[in-house]
Amino acid sequence: MIQNENAPRPAARTRGAASGIGNAFHRMMQIRGMGQVVSVTAALVLMSLVFALINDKFMTAQNITSLLRQVAPILIIGMGQSYVLITGGIDLSIGSLVGMSAMMSATLMTHGVHALIALPLTILACLLVGLLNGTLIAQAKLPPFIATLGTMIMARGVAQIVNGNMNTDQITAGGAEAIRDLFYYGKFLGVYTPVWLALVLFLVFNYILSSTRTGRHIYALGSNYEAARFSGVSVKWAMTKAYMISSFMSCMVGFILMAQSGMGTMDAGTSYELNAVAASVIGGVSTMGGQGLLFGTVVGACIWGVLQNGLQFAGAPLALKNIVVGIVVIVSVLIDRIARSDALDLKKLFGRRAKA
Amino acid sequence: MKKVLVLALALLLALGTFSAATAEGNLVYLITMDKMDMHWVSVDAGASAMAKALGLDYKWDAPNAKDNATQIEVMNNAIAEKPAVILLAATDPQGIAKTVEDAQSQGIIVLYVDSPAAAPVPVTLSTDNYAAGKLAGTTMIDELDKAGKTSGKIAIISVNTATNSTMNREKGFRDALTADGRFEILTTEYKEGLAAESQEAATNFITGNADLVGLFGANEGSTVGVGNAIKAENPAIIGIGFDKSDAILGLLKDGSLKAAMAQNPFTMGFLGVSEAYAAINKLSTGPSVIDTGVSVLRG
Amino acid sequence: MDNLIEMRGIVKVFPGVRALDDVHFELRPGEVHALLGENGAGKSTLMKILCGIYARDGGTFLVNGRPVEHLTPKKAQEMGIAIIHQELNMCQHLTVAENIFLGREESRFTKLRQKDMNRRAAEYLKQLSLDISPETPVSKLQVGGQQMVEIAKAVSTDCKVLVMDEPTSALTNREVEELNRIIRELKARGVGIVYITHRLEELTPIADRVTILRDGKFVATRDFRDITISEIISMMVGREITEKFPHVACEPGEVVLKVSHLNAGRMVRDVNFELRKGEILGFAGLMGAGRTETMRAIFGADPVESGQVFLNGKAVPLKSPAQSIRSGIACVPEDRKKEGLCVELSLRENVALANLDRLKGPLGKVLRRKEADLTQRAIDELRIKASSQLMLARNLSGGNQQKVVVGKWLVRDAEVVLFDEPTRGIDVAAKVEIYHLMNQLKQKGIGVLFVSSEMPEILGMADRILVMCDGRVTGEYTSAEATQDAIMRSATQFESRKGQAG
Repeated sequence: MIQNENAPRPAARTRGAASGIGNAFHRMMQIRGMGQVVSVTAALVLMSLVFALINDKFMTAQNITSLLRQVAPILIIGMGQSYVLITGGIDLSIGSLVGMSAMMSATLMTHGVHALIALPLTILACLLVGLLNGTLIAQAKLPPFIATLGTMIMARGVAQIVNGNMNTDQITAGGAEAIRDLFYYGKFLGVYTPVWLALVLFLVFNYILSSTRTGRHIYALGSNYEAARFSGVSVKWAMTKAYMISSFMSCMVGFILMAQSGMGTMDAGTSYELNAVAASVIGGVSTMGGQGLLFGTVVGACIWGVLQNGLQFAGAPLALKNIVVGIVVIVSVLIDRIARSDALDLKKLFGRRAKA
Repeated sequence: MKKVLVLALALLLALGTFSAATAEGNLVYLITMDKMDMHWVSVDAGASAMAKALGLDYKWDAPNAKDNATQIEVMNNAIAEKPAVILLAATDPQGIAKTVEDAQSQGIIVLYVDSPAAAPVPVTLSTDNYAAGKLAGTTMIDELDKAGKTSGKIAIISVNTATNSTMNREKGFRDALTADGRFEILTTEYKEGLAAESQEAATNFITGNADLVGLFGANEGSTVGVGNAIKAENPAIIGIGFDKSDAILGLLKDGSLKAAMAQNPFTMGFLGVSEAYAAINKLSTGPSVIDTGVSVLRG
Repeated sequence: MDNLIEMRGIVKVFPGVRALDDVHFELRPGEVHALLGENGAGKSTLMKILCGIYARDGGTFLVNGRPVEHLTPKKAQEMGIAIIHQELNMCQHLTVAENIFLGREESRFTKLRQKDMNRRAAEYLKQLSLDISPETPVSKLQVGGQQMVEIAKAVSTDCKVLVMDEPTSALTNREVEELNRIIRELKARGVGIVYITHRLEELTPIADRVTILRDGKFVATRDFRDITISEIISMMVGREITEKFPHVACEPGEVVLKVSHLNAGRMVRDVNFELRKGEILGFAGLMGAGRTETMRAIFGADPVESGQVFLNGKAVPLKSPAQSIRSGIACVPEDRKKEGLCVELSLRENVALANLDRLKGPLGKVLRRKEADLTQRAIDELRIKASSQLMLARNLSGGNQQKVVVGKWLVRDAEVVLFDEPTRGIDVAAKVEIYHLMNQLKQKGIGVLFVSSEMPEILGMADRILVMCDGRVTGEYTSAEATQDAIMRSATQFESRKGQAG
């Protein structure tokens, strides 16, 4: 047996009952990207404690339920953006699609189209935009920044003209009240419906990303496009799927906004794509592609929501808020770089014996 | 060869007279801050109605998003089309002043609608935002008295710190309440006039302050957010807002908002174009500042 | 016996160049058929057509006697054709098992059967006697380890045709023996193997037939028994190479570089040596012995824990390559694509990159004329084959890329030049030119450090040879006293292992 000096030595076994937990923890830490997720979760907890100390109303049940509902939309578009980031691309059209989705569904529903028809039609339209993004990027080989910039402008234009350059009236068609409850105002087991929607979407899309062939292919093509292609992966189709998933998520958030105000506003979703990038990056998704955990994006979205909510409760002036948020994004990217370099061996920190 | 030269000269002359003719044409150009806020849509509606009635050519343009640099470019493009009059709602009063002077030096008449810039012009049609804000403040105090509240907190949702009109409204509102002295005003949240974000900020205010008695929205989007938050979280809170739209009328009707300071954007546009007509035809344009006023809308 | 593969009259045209012009190639089951030729001869192109990555522009292509049209990588995989590329093609973020099963993942009701795949990957790795865990992220493996994983991946596809493009370039001698054992097993199973290499000595234990290409044209197919290595070389380059290693005797001058108690992590431990002016000092040893790491430490590319480096008696600050360059040290690194060249820039820009301080005019502007002249000097001295100075570096062949990396230092007149595996993956004629270049530098009085894993090359070119093993210098020989045996002994002189994890 060749003792390949290249190979890392096999892990030593620890003894005792306490080591059972230690082992499970170690196995969890072996998952790519888990290091960053753990550190941002710790940051989230710390941040929440600080805000709770500043204003005791922050930690009330009422605010927490409200806060979770504020986090849900960021989480949903964050997941879509994460899929795209993992392929090594970026989706700038997210915000405009949110607006297009809100305007389209609201316009249909203010013209007598039942929700059961209006919503699926809107979903279809958004998926088509996602398909367009994927085709431009995977087939025509346009840089993602440029392609999605184009669809961003186009989708915003559609949002404006679909109701004749006017915000819509209040939605009245069949199912309107039900939609408003389903996507924003309803509560189930004490938690608002958007949170449940975000949870369901997370469970589904996390499963896809971590446990299916599609997810594996998405990681692969983000890590090394050519290697994936040469191994027989349908790279173009996998990449297109990522952009379509992102558009789908944007569509869902458009429904949430439409349900929230009961109408479509042409400027809905403005600059959401950057919030989605922030949530992903804070959560450890690399903008270089090939890695990132969706659960990290969840934590990133929570941090984003807690910051917006907590800083308001702390009475922070606008300038301070922007600066704080900017610093958080920069620090999380830095933490990611440091954790990945050899300068700091996180495994050593967590008690594993150093490899000889 | 000679024939070609003569032909070319004739062509040039013809083109010259043609463009001169269009310069003399009666084009009225409206430039607003953006094209999405319902406020501008109403200004445009009024302006185009009057232009049609007077038989003037009319065009409306604005940047995609509210931005001073882009608005300057839009104005430069408009100047190149040699309109007779430009009606301008300036995003940044200082930034666009030079462009206004540039237009005037080329013989274009510039009038201000809604938001003036720093360069002098014959007529400005706008809301006196400070006064309107103060009126909103006194209306808030009236409603609080009616509801029997003598103390508590009040919060403001506004647009951003760079927009003069909304900053003036906020100032007027704050001054009115400070003069009264009974209520505490919290730090303003700025949410770019987006209804969804404004609603979230308003909800947070409600959650975070058990003694919150009043909410003020400084423009249409902020007001819609404020109204929806009151409706969903605590209908006892007094909501006062700004501008008029179907959404706001609905919120007034069901009591989520107690009053809204409705500007008259349609009138701004309507009167603006008639002033433009007067200016083109060298008629008297009346006072240099016309306050198109606010009316207090109630449910 | 049917041919597994039959390619006749293959033509492939790229814009501006006829990569393949009427090329024939066939493969029988159970044979090792070597495909040889200089860089740019068309070997990789032919193989990419075989694997469905490129489409041919002309000729016939039969697999198992049946004609093939519109081949894609996935279809080729399904037909039992596997390829191990010259440039490593692994997804760095994924584990060994995930890479092995990439493109043919097993799943049940959409859920990936990761545990099963890990288990099977472990079996394949064991078959190759590799001590690598399937759950290791590929990025944590060295180049040699990644190469072996690529081989495991190809073998695991149960292929009928296996193409190996420079499979041994990053392997140690023992790994090469292991590879040959696997190849013999595959032959016995009836697998046909296409073997592309520049290390012609490697063919002797395994090759059955050879096909030689030159400049996109077919030269000959012969039985390996009926041909000698020098005949092969002649056919590859079209001329006789009389001398394999143009060693030049030179009187070494005074000490130009002195390395004293250098420590930089596990791979550079208490390294001491001296280099004289006009001397080529060879660094021999196994992969992972620490030779590259030593070069990087001297060049200031890696942090140094302790020790010093003196150039002409003056201490060299080891903080950054810029400082080492200013002191007069130049480096031709191991991984030219990552560390030697900016592949997206042109030839001219690459040469200029290391010389911008010379090419600056007033106000910092780059003097275009000087830049072009400097580049032309490099092109002439090294006979770089490029259609123009503005050609992108990524479009040059491996050998010419290496010449650009060397060229940018040549025009810099450095005092010490470090060469790290300068002839890996480049063709015979280009190799000879690199040797001549080293002699040129030597004769100018420059000190040359020369890291290489090809023993004949080191024995042939170096004046003195240092051997490293596991981070320490374990042997030093003059060119007269060095033998392959002696070097190998020093190269395997490992310390006894202390403190096992237990």
